Amino acid sequence: MSEAYFPVGPGLGLEENFLSLDDILMSQEKLPGRAESTLPRLAFALGQGAGTGDSIPEGTKLEIPLWLAKGLHDSKRRIISVELPKIYKEAWRTVFSADATVVDLHKMGPYYYGFGSQLLNFDNPENPEIAQTLLQTFISRFRHIMDSSQNAYNEDTSALVARLDELERALFQAGQKGLNDFQCWEKGQASQITASSLVQNYGKRKFTEMDG
Amino acid sequence: MEPAEAEFLAEKELVTIVPNFSLDRIHLIGGDLGPFNPGLPVEVPVWLAINLKQRQKCRLIPPEWMDVAKLEEIREQERKEDTFTPMPSPYYMELTKLLLNYASDNIPKADEIRTLVKDTWDTRVAKLRLSADSFVRQQEAHAKLDNLTLMEINTTGTFLTQALDHMYKLRTNLQPGESSRSQDF
Repeated sequence: MSEAYFPVGPGLGLEENFLSLDDILMSQEKLPGRAESTLPRLAFALGQGAGTGDSIPEGTKLEIPLWLAKGLHDSKRRIISVELPKIYKEAWRTVFSADATVVDLHKMGPYYYGFGSQLLNFDNPENPEIAQTLLQTFISRFRHIMDSSQNAYNEDTSALVARLDELERALFQAGQKGLNDFQCWEKGQASQITASSLVQNYGKRKFTEMDG
Repeated sequence: MEPAEAEFLAEKELVTIVPNFSLDRIHLIGGDLGPFNPGLPVEVPVWLAINLKQRQKCRLIPPEWMDVAKLEEIREQERKEDTFTPMPSPYYMELTKLLLNYASDNIPKADEIRTLVKDTWDTRVAKLRLSADSFVRQQEAHAKLDNLTLMEINTTGTFLTQALDHMYKLRTNLQPGESSRSQDF
């Protein structure tokens, strides 16, 4: 009720939300892949060559952003094939299942959960394990996020959020907001009228500006 | 819901005052109040009591649970039990804040009462977090918590529902359902 506007949240499933800024940024993350057939004259677009006429020979390793990979992925017309980024592979999955709370998810790709959910779109025999790992990681880190967000009042939280990925940061902010609202009410500031954040930066017009 | 809204709802609770003016029975939409006679205690809603107190027209009598011994007992019981104990008023936090802010001169040992209520609140919120964590960890479908008050639910509610939303979406990923595929050329 006190929000000035409601941003569209990320989709976080097999489908993205078209209008969500988080999803748009997330789909810019790159995937390793291979060109399955020759891609004529696209070397320039994919960053592989300097001339506009160069084509990408079959079998080249490419780094493709997710939105492009999703569009080009087709089991019948084999244009490109994608591989899993290393954090979704077996080695890292065991790290997550051992102890998920110590991993720096921001460094691993700030959209670990969203990107992982999108990876499930590509047919891959490891999909059930990836989905399971995503869920379990979230569950193990939940306690930590809850405790840190609800106990850090009026402090610098940058150390706490440094290791969280974007989804967890949104949750952290929700927790902080709950805490701040409560503390603000308890201090009695809830009944004071304050300027809305949208108009706080408007300067007062000076009289002289209106003349002439 | 914000804390201010919960406080608004709490102001409907009845509290005893001793007015120093006289007034006949007044008829409000919510019900009748009064008559007010100086020196005779009368029950009014908290919003009216606070207003009269601010205009120095009455003296507030603290509710019978707002007493050091009783609150200590409640606090001890809260610490002993694993589940939530029923609180003397479903709006204990809001009433404490309102009465202690506006009428602390009418309430004996106001600071101790504030500390005791805060301790009880901290214990309850810690229990709530523990319960939320075990709920998420075991991926239960539904949980029932008795004797929670509105203020406690508000403070953790947004966070918990968002986290559960995310968990739900991650969980539906486990089922390899047929999502709508785009056209093949």
